[in-house]
Amino acid sequence: MKDMHGIIFAYLTHPKLKELAEHRTAASLPFGGRYRCIDFMLSNMVNAGINDVGVVMRDSYQSLLDHLGSGKDWDLARKRGGLRLLPPFGYAGPRRSVEFRGRMEALYGVASYISRIRQDYVVLADGENVANLSLEDVLESHIQSGAEITCVCTPAREGAVSDEAFYRLDDTGRIVDITVGLKDGYESMNVFLLSKPLLEHLLNYCAARSLYHFNRDVLQAMKEKLRLSAYIYNGYCARLISVTNYFQHSMDLLKPEVRRDLFPRGRSIRTKVRDEAPTYYSPDSRARNSVVADGCYIEGVVENSILFRGVRIGKGAVVQNCILMQDAAVKDGARISHVIADKQVTVSENHILVGHSTYPIAISKGAEV
Amino acid sequence: MKKEIVAMLLAGGQGSRLYVLTTNVAKPAVPFGGKYRIIDFPLSNCVNSDIDTVGVLTQYQPLELNEYIGSGQPWDLDRLHGGVHILPPYMHGKGGQWYKGTANAIYQNIRFIDNYGPEYVLILSGDHIYKMDYADMLRRHKKSGSDCTIAVYEVSLQEASRFGILNTNPDDTVYEFEEKPAQPKSTLASMGIYIFNWGKLRKYLTEDEADPKSSNDFGKNIIPAMLKAGEKLSVCRFNGYWKDVGTIESLWDANMDMLSASNQMDLHDPAWRIYARNPVAPPHYMGAGAVISHSLVTEGCEVEGEVLNSVLFNDVTVAEGASVKYSILMPGAVVESGAVIEYAILAENARVGAGARVGADPKDAPDPAEWGIAVVASDVVIEAGRVIGPNTMVAD
Repeated sequence: MKDMHGIIFAYLTHPKLKELAEHRTAASLPFGGRYRCIDFMLSNMVNAGINDVGVVMRDSYQSLLDHLGSGKDWDLARKRGGLRLLPPFGYAGPRRSVEFRGRMEALYGVASYISRIRQDYVVLADGENVANLSLEDVLESHIQSGAEITCVCTPAREGAVSDEAFYRLDDTGRIVDITVGLKDGYESMNVFLLSKPLLEHLLNYCAARSLYHFNRDVLQAMKEKLRLSAYIYNGYCARLISVTNYFQHSMDLLKPEVRRDLFPRGRSIRTKVRDEAPTYYSPDSRARNSVVADGCYIEGVVENSILFRGVRIGKGAVVQNCILMQDAAVKDGARISHVIADKQVTVSENHILVGHSTYPIAISKGAEV
Repeated sequence: MKKEIVAMLLAGGQGSRLYVLTTNVAKPAVPFGGKYRIIDFPLSNCVNSDIDTVGVLTQYQPLELNEYIGSGQPWDLDRLHGGVHILPPYMHGKGGQWYKGTANAIYQNIRFIDNYGPEYVLILSGDHIYKMDYADMLRRHKKSGSDCTIAVYEVSLQEASRFGILNTNPDDTVYEFEEKPAQPKSTLASMGIYIFNWGKLRKYLTEDEADPKSSNDFGKNIIPAMLKAGEKLSVCRFNGYWKDVGTIESLWDANMDMLSASNQMDLHDPAWRIYARNPVAPPHYMGAGAVISHSLVTEGCEVEGEVLNSVLFNDVTVAEGASVKYSILMPGAVVESGAVIEYAILAENARVGAGARVGADPKDAPDPAEWGIAVVASDVVIEAGRVIGPNTMVAD
């Protein structure tokens, strides 16, 4: 199963992520105590035996570069292939600093990279999907169905994103209609598998006609001409597009079935190693129903929360229903609930901060409260 | 390209007093402190002291250690020139042989050291838990103009007869070395950490090898020979945390030390990180009914029961209603519901069935003189309901 090449789109940002996306794209959003969103898709690729992965980025990619480095933490620091970071060339024209208008435009910017792909199949995937998806199963289904493009989708979730694409299928699993915003059928995960020659052909076709949108100009426009098949993924899948939905999906990790889905044995999610010490719980600490990464130092009370690496909770501090990112500190006696504290946030002694599950408070990176 | 200093880490010891914990692994590969192996401490000290060339001498059960060290990448020791090298004994023209002693192990690797043309060689062992700046020791070695500097640790007079003791002049030069003296004259114990001028050490190693009566040991042969010949030897005092983890008791003790805030061994200190090969596991989780207090817990653990005064390595499971106190649970250990673990060490992937008991509080021991830490060896399954008393070792 080494016949696939991975391309991850890591340039998308979502305005509703507000403070959380100030310094980063959705793909490099911290999630689940020690990960960035992109770790999931990157690990899915590595777990499927994919050795060559290109990551397409556009703006605010410093955090992503810092996280991915040479790719060694995913075993992708290779001489032949491995991880390739694909930032934009310095555009001199008027289109500078404008987001890609669509995935085809993003791919067109790396056309020469695509022409050198040595595998027969290419997986195109959004970097902000949090799911443990077996891409080798997707390839098998692609080959068996005889599809030209296989689109991975999931049964529409509660509160599904309204601007997402939905697929209507016939009895054979062929996609017969693609709609946006209607919540009709299966929700797209924006993971596509197709052959390299077809991808190159589609790129040339679109470039020649100033078409740049994968959903509209390829899937919708060619659904009769091309055989589009669906691969239905039934496991846990999160797409993080707003502060509230980030909060809710993070809290999902407190459910054992969600952790089993995302972190099954043998299909590990890899991330950048930080060499933290084990987490220390002091004699006076009280912790329950929480997910805690390494390197934390806990002297207070923690309930129903997600703690990233290196978080410090002082004596008498109470943390309930919170998400505290890397190196955040809650000082002695502070009480916080329904707060998302970004990296290196400090909540000072005896301060009180209370949000609500439908409107959690997000605090920007490095802020002192 | 020359290296100023090369470190040689003696990692071939069996650690026979760790019994079932070292049946399949060398002592330096024994897990320690929730996330580490013993060898991570000297290796991290090297890197943090800017020493980038380390030879690791292996002999006993080297497979796991070899795999653990690999390319040296977790310690930043995957270098184009230098880096970490595993050095097992090998065959050569005249036959080859096992490492006969600590000095012979270095003797057999003279060519390895010569390759880097160093001025100094640092000799280390893989038996201790400590953080030490070897660069500082090297500075003192150079300043004193000694041929050999030995790191020493102040022990009590009663303990002194268990150690190699250095008797010194007021200027910290050594006039005598006594191995485990019955009547110690000093309380400066050798830590088994030496910096030698390579040219000198090379000469003494060669002479020592030519002596068939020698036991080819640094403490017994090389140091006394150098003293006898009038070479200048000095001590370098160390007063941080330093602990031998060569016995079940001391291994358990040292793990418990990591829980105390005043142990001078701050594992969380970003300025002197201890590097290790990190397992790939999600953050740990504790359930709504879990109790965790005064403990170290690592990634991949799932705790539903009670964990007090304990060290949990990665991927440990403590089920609902189970209780773990004053214990060390190595990677992948499982404690099923209602089981009670007290004053015990569960080795890797050991499993304790529902309602079983392992170890006992010294207060509850029928005979205090017979009390000790209970040990369950790796991959051993303790059936549900079984009782393993204190001071017991279960190997199958």
